[in-house]
Amino acid sequence: MATDIRNELERARTDEELPLAGVDGSRALLGSLGVVAFLGLWHVASLFQPAYVLPSPLAVGGTFYAEAASGEMITALGQSIQHWLPGAVVGTTLGVAVGIALAWSPLLDDLSAPVVRLLRPVPPLALIGFAIAWFGINNAGAAFIIAIGAFWINFYAAYGGVEGVSEDLLDVARSLGVEGDLELVKSVVIPAASPEIMTGIRTGLGRCWMLVVASEIFGVPGIGRQILRAGQNLQVDVVIAYILVLSLMFLLVDTAFRAVQRRMLRWR
Amino acid sequence: MNAASADSGVRIEGVSKHYDAEGGVVRALEGVSFDVDNGEFVCIVGPSGCGKTTLFRIIAGLDDATDGAVYLGGDRVEGPTPDMGVVFQEYHLFPWRTVRGNVAFGLEKSGVPEAERRTRVEELVELVGLEGFEDSYPKALSGGMKQRVAIARALAADPALLLMDEPFGAVDAQTREMLQTELLEIREETGKTVLFVTHDVEEAVKLADRIVVMDKEPGRICETVPVDLPRPRSRSDAEFGGYYERVLDLIRSA
Ligand SMILES: Nc1ncnc2c1ncn2[C@@H]1O[C@H](COP(=O)(O)OP(=O)(O)OP(=O)(O)O)[C@@H](O)[C@H]1O
Ligand SMILES: [Mg+2]
Repeated sequence: MATDIRNELERARTDEELPLAGVDGSRALLGSLGVVAFLGLWHVASLFQPAYVLPSPLAVGGTFYAEAASGEMITALGQSIQHWLPGAVVGTTLGVAVGIALAWSPLLDDLSAPVVRLLRPVPPLALIGFAIAWFGINNAGAAFIIAIGAFWINFYAAYGGVEGVSEDLLDVARSLGVEGDLELVKSVVIPAASPEIMTGIRTGLGRCWMLVVASEIFGVPGIGRQILRAGQNLQVDVVIAYILVLSLMFLLVDTAFRAVQRRMLRWR
Repeated sequence: MNAASADSGVRIEGVSKHYDAEGGVVRALEGVSFDVDNGEFVCIVGPSGCGKTTLFRIIAGLDDATDGAVYLGGDRVEGPTPDMGVVFQEYHLFPWRTVRGNVAFGLEKSGVPEAERRTRVEELVELVGLEGFEDSYPKALSGGMKQRVAIARALAADPALLLMDEPFGAVDAQTREMLQTELLEIREETGKTVLFVTHDVEEAVKLADRIVVMDKEPGRICETVPVDLPRPRSRSDAEFGGYYERVLDLIRSA
């Protein structure tokens, strides 16, 4: 899990460094070509399969429209956002805060190291028992699972970022009259680690959309629940339509956050 | 030691620093004592590894001495203090702050009101000749410009002492000469006491009122050379060469 997260953070970082990824003309053209080819292959494959195994892209489009028009999709999205948003906000905030605290304070780090090692391999999904016992089968339970996922990604990102803060910058700040841990963290550590923290937040926000499905597995209504139920009814077109909703939400949030990130880190 | 230097300027008194290393104790500094008078420009020179940076960090309050003490204006230095403006070789600007933001950093921390801060920052930016770059981030500046920002930042809180460790060691020769001249002008204008570490003998002779020459293993002072030359100094002056050779000989025989 830990290396998983590191790889993911790494990917997000290199991704960011691509100048104007996707805006470049030939890239966009090749990308559209790829999409068309993908849809074509999918269509051809669907000709040889019954619709309950693999529906055609057009059929999925129709289902998407129908689900959207009936209002069911909007309702489900609204429900999932009630899991995603609090889960992401709480998990991100705690993850960043705890990551900074442990990386900054050797005492806290030593105290918590065994517990962290013990807890970090636990997949969020394994905590469904706690979600039910502590919160019940409701929005809070689902948000809890999402928060756990966001927590670890942000914890590691912030921890790594703070570990990398130059001791020299801290010396400069001290010599300019900054006293005390809180002031140093506020005026040097957080801004210096902000690139890593921002990458963590962005990666975490994406991971939270993926966790929406897992978080609704025990019966809380939302997009994930729709996907699971449609799967049980062999309505693969509905499954794909709702997966598409998650992908679109991911894309929307990621693009928006990336713009924020660029702005905030323009000093780099 | 005269009475005046006891309550103004800097006094370094019996400072030793020992590091435990493999193969025994490294005596990075051994009983280093000297004074810097108020308004004086003192350069510390010595061979690589003689403990210049170690001494610099102890004077700045960033490291503790194994033995001895440092006094600034008669008060013992117990830790980093805004009464000293510290400048490092590698600038160490805050990359997320603009030139203005870097210069203002210390003033913000000491709670100087916004309006006063603005005027003060403007003065400093002008003093180091960076008008027009107030809103630039460090990544867009050359090495020489970065060091100017670092000097302005160090001077912002109007410290009693400007303390510098090979500040011009990382820039090209031309820029270095320019910065040296500017530093002398700044010092003329502000009357600051300056303690300047360098391994460049020519730089020391050009800048200093007095040169403290250090010895290696253990790091200690072998000689103090007052430089009695009118400014501006040029290395083509006959007497300049005399000082240069003398200090170089002291380092060589160290
Ligand atoms: N943290 C440390 N642990 C052990 N030894 C150290 C440490 N810091 C410095 N030293 C040793 O102390 C001696 C003095 O080092 P210092 O960096 O002060 O020299 P310097 O005069 O600044 O050298 P340079 O001209 O290369 O900058 C050296 O022998 C160095 O190896
Ligand atoms: Mg040094």
